[in-house]
Amino acid sequence: MRNTTTGWLLIAPTLFILFITGMVPFLYVLAVGFLDWNTFAANPEPRFAGVDNFRRLVFDAAFLKSLWLTFKFTLFVLASQLIIGFFLAKMLMRNVPLKGLFRTVHTLPLMIAPIAVGATWRLMTVPGLGPIPHWMQQWFDISYVLSRFPDQAFATVVIMDIWHWTPLVTLTLMAGLSNLPEEPLEQARIDGAGEWRIFWDITLPFLKPVLLTTIFIRLMDALRTVDEVWMLTGGGPGAETRFIGLHIWRVVFPKTDYGYGAAMSLITLYLTIVMCWLLYVAMTGMKEKSR
Amino acid sequence: MPKLLLATSAIAVALSAPAYADFWSDAGANLQGVTIRGVSESTPPSNYVRDVLAPQFTEATGIEVEFETTSWDQMFDKAIKDMEAGSGIYDFVYIEQDIIYSYLARDFLVNISDALEANPSLQAPDFSIEDFTTFIDNFRGADGDIFGVPMEAFIKVYLYRKDLFEDPAHQEAFKAKYGYDLAPATTFDQWRDNAEYFANLDPNDELWGTTVQAASGHPAAFYEFFESIAPTYGVYDWGIDMAKGAATVEKGGRMNSPEAKEALAFWVGLLDFAPPEATASTWDEVASTFAAGRAAQGWVYGENAAWVATNPEKSTVVGKVGVALPPMNPGVMEEAEAGEGYIGYYDGGAFGIPHSSKNKEAALLWLQFIGQPSVQADWAVAGSRVVHQATFDDPKVKEVDAMADGYFTMMKEQGHLFKGAPEFPFHAQVREAVAPFIYEAIVGTMTPEEALDQAAAAAEAEMANLGYGGN
Amino acid sequence: MNRGILSSRLLTFLFWIAMSALTLLPVWWMFLVSVRTRADLFGKPSFLLDLSAMTWENYAAVLSNPTFQKYMTNSLIVATSNAVLVSMLALLAAYAMSRFALAGKDNLFFWVLTNRMAPPAVFLLPLFLMFTGFRIGDWSLFDTRIGLILLYCVFNLPFAFWLLQGIVDAIPRELDEAAYVDGASTFTVLMTVIFPLARPGLAVTGILTWVFAWNEYLFASTLTSVDARTITTGLAEFVTVTGTNWGELAAVAMLTLAPAALVLALVQRHIVAGLTFGAVKG
Repeated sequence: MRNTTTGWLLIAPTLFILFITGMVPFLYVLAVGFLDWNTFAANPEPRFAGVDNFRRLVFDAAFLKSLWLTFKFTLFVLASQLIIGFFLAKMLMRNVPLKGLFRTVHTLPLMIAPIAVGATWRLMTVPGLGPIPHWMQQWFDISYVLSRFPDQAFATVVIMDIWHWTPLVTLTLMAGLSNLPEEPLEQARIDGAGEWRIFWDITLPFLKPVLLTTIFIRLMDALRTVDEVWMLTGGGPGAETRFIGLHIWRVVFPKTDYGYGAAMSLITLYLTIVMCWLLYVAMTGMKEKSR
Repeated sequence: MPKLLLATSAIAVALSAPAYADFWSDAGANLQGVTIRGVSESTPPSNYVRDVLAPQFTEATGIEVEFETTSWDQMFDKAIKDMEAGSGIYDFVYIEQDIIYSYLARDFLVNISDALEANPSLQAPDFSIEDFTTFIDNFRGADGDIFGVPMEAFIKVYLYRKDLFEDPAHQEAFKAKYGYDLAPATTFDQWRDNAEYFANLDPNDELWGTTVQAASGHPAAFYEFFESIAPTYGVYDWGIDMAKGAATVEKGGRMNSPEAKEALAFWVGLLDFAPPEATASTWDEVASTFAAGRAAQGWVYGENAAWVATNPEKSTVVGKVGVALPPMNPGVMEEAEAGEGYIGYYDGGAFGIPHSSKNKEAALLWLQFIGQPSVQADWAVAGSRVVHQATFDDPKVKEVDAMADGYFTMMKEQGHLFKGAPEFPFHAQVREAVAPFIYEAIVGTMTPEEALDQAAAAAEAEMANLGYGGN
Repeated sequence: MNRGILSSRLLTFLFWIAMSALTLLPVWWMFLVSVRTRADLFGKPSFLLDLSAMTWENYAAVLSNPTFQKYMTNSLIVATSNAVLVSMLALLAAYAMSRFALAGKDNLFFWVLTNRMAPPAVFLLPLFLMFTGFRIGDWSLFDTRIGLILLYCVFNLPFAFWLLQGIVDAIPRELDEAAYVDGASTFTVLMTVIFPLARPGLAVTGILTWVFAWNEYLFASTLTSVDARTITTGLAEFVTVTGTNWGELAAVAMLTLAPAALVLALVQRHIVAGLTFGAVKG
């Protein structure tokens, strides 16, 4: 083994940059979270506030609503994407002409900048211009106005996310499915097991690690969704699609409530970590079992 | 704006400029090649600055002007971040009348009176504070010094479609349905009836009864309600008593007073007769809606009045626009006349120089350049803004005035009945606290009563948090 | 049996035709909006391209706008510099990780990866304060391309690090040992052995990190103002400024998504691995 100093030198720039861009902001936000600091207050100077910010947060209806919306959104998109993604993965594994092309087309939304995804969907939904309001009126006699009806806005945001991210689920599940061992499947078929039985007893257990990874990745992404929603609804109508990232932005920038915004960021970070950790534990547990 | 207009105005200024050409080139002599940079909202007056005045200034002085016009949100965000950070990106910024108190409280801006006094060589002979309308008083500090040079000022008026209101067929049908004559609204009930009538003419037509600036997630909705609607119901200054830190009725505020609740119920009720884009409309979309002939009446910011009424390239209702005072409750006019209240929003803005600017001298010249009498009239024609008293009497302005149904006359003669935003240093903060409840009322997830009760409580909490007012 | 397979193949084929149409529909619609004149936009929506009425006006207007040109240039510079920087640093780091016995290696690796997972909104405030507060004379990181190039490392570096780690691990140790025996320095080994063999992997890393940097919006919108604005922030700015100028908005959006769509075919096999951090190989 070579001199480890050289090794440390090689990895040092990476660690240094990540320390500055990742660790320092974290320490900074941690410190600011305990300050009473709004630059437009009568006293614009930061003052130590103890845990006041956190105490306020627990009763902040707007913050709690935003959290709840974020969880609701995450739940909806995760469930839909897993089901649709699984189905599409199955379909894509069939032997079909032009399979490669279909796969590429299906992958396209993944690469599009989220902000452009938002713009795309906005153009689909603007009253008077977009086809969706037109069809809704024509076919179902539904007045479709995103800026007016919270349920429509929420549903559209969910559908947009499904459009954007289902391909990821499809592709990961495809990877998982193509590694399924043939033998137990054949055996089960010979034993006369039904499709559902095979799915529950063989496919699902084998897919579990891939499934959990997929859930893990999608969960983290869904929790931090900002760009496309900002573009499509701006968080509206009212605050009905103002997910946590957007909410933090509004508190920190237009309102310049630095201390409070920092505390909010910390809680959000904490919740994200807890959720990811739980999943991570589940995942590693699962992997050990399958070994 | 028509190109012809641009060209003629450029020539006009070129012709009137020579008398002082010496001053500008002399003053600019040491500043050749300097570039000053500014930011403003993309509105007709600002676009005129970018397209016409900035090139003229460059020609006269040799100082380059990079002028960014963007959305209101972005403009505000960028300007305030720059001044907070002291990064010195901008040499002049747009200061809306409503945010000046916050800026002064934070000491963001250069004292222009002092700066001019300290640099006599930079004092343009043609620039005089005396020329301005009283609107300039908004930009004075505690001791009367000027912190911004007004570049636009306008009132938010009631616009209606003359052609529709004067159509005998409509007049007859309206009378048959409501039992009184069709006319521009002078009461809120009448406004509602007008709106209902025109909205329900034909389900397939592209005409609705009224505009509503009710973007359900944008401060524009907050502004229309508190600055245009609530005052006509007699609720002034957002219903906030700053000295007491009060917004609720219990503590002495009026934000959740019965009048305010009635006003909100009326305003939100209009959405039934408004085009579908109303809940996504800020001031820009409201003007576009009206210009596209999609609404029979509405509150429209005056900066748009001229182009809506006169520019056939952008507006389909040229020559069909009527202008009137908004309807109001009994007693409000008397209070406004007595100076105790107001009947609507007198908005506008100035250009100021941030302390962080690295080219203060050049910026100072620029501010005086746009404050000269000679540039005012054409600018008024292009952007329906007036900041000099003399501009009202200019023949070109009078011509537009005639086409715009006397908008400028109204501004000149009745402008004093309108008022800008209250002098709150916590403007954006309380707005952010209150606005969500207005959105809730628009969307219908709260009744107007609930919304204002909670909004008033939230406003008080925010003021207390910030350390303003009583407790 | 044969017929069954055939008809099911046909059905699957038709199904995928329909799915692809559904996927492409919003993008196709945006393209249509971008090549239509304002007058053609409203009324009954049509998904057909009317070649005779097609116009490139919106693109011309956007591309000739100096502000937009600047945003585009900034995006190109930031994404490219960041991709190059990240690939280089990550190659060094991956090599160190692979060939040296560094203490606490596993924890270090995990820590590096966590940097990518944090929600960006959480760090907006401290980053804004850091960017504006850290100054050398008059200069601060706020509104500079350098600032963005460095910052984008926070999500791209861990990714590149992870991707290249696998690639360097796969290069047989015997090759660099042989070079060392011949008296080569670490640098020479990196240049003559590792770099050439890792080149395909580096290309994928570079392209994907480039796309991620190009697509980024939230940091760019808060940490820039004028000089360093990128195209994604331009797009967001655009929608609020013009209000109803949908044609140009669509043109900007098309230009924003074009590069990613163009490299799609090149890297599509790696996208899954990229987005799942290799936990799943596509």
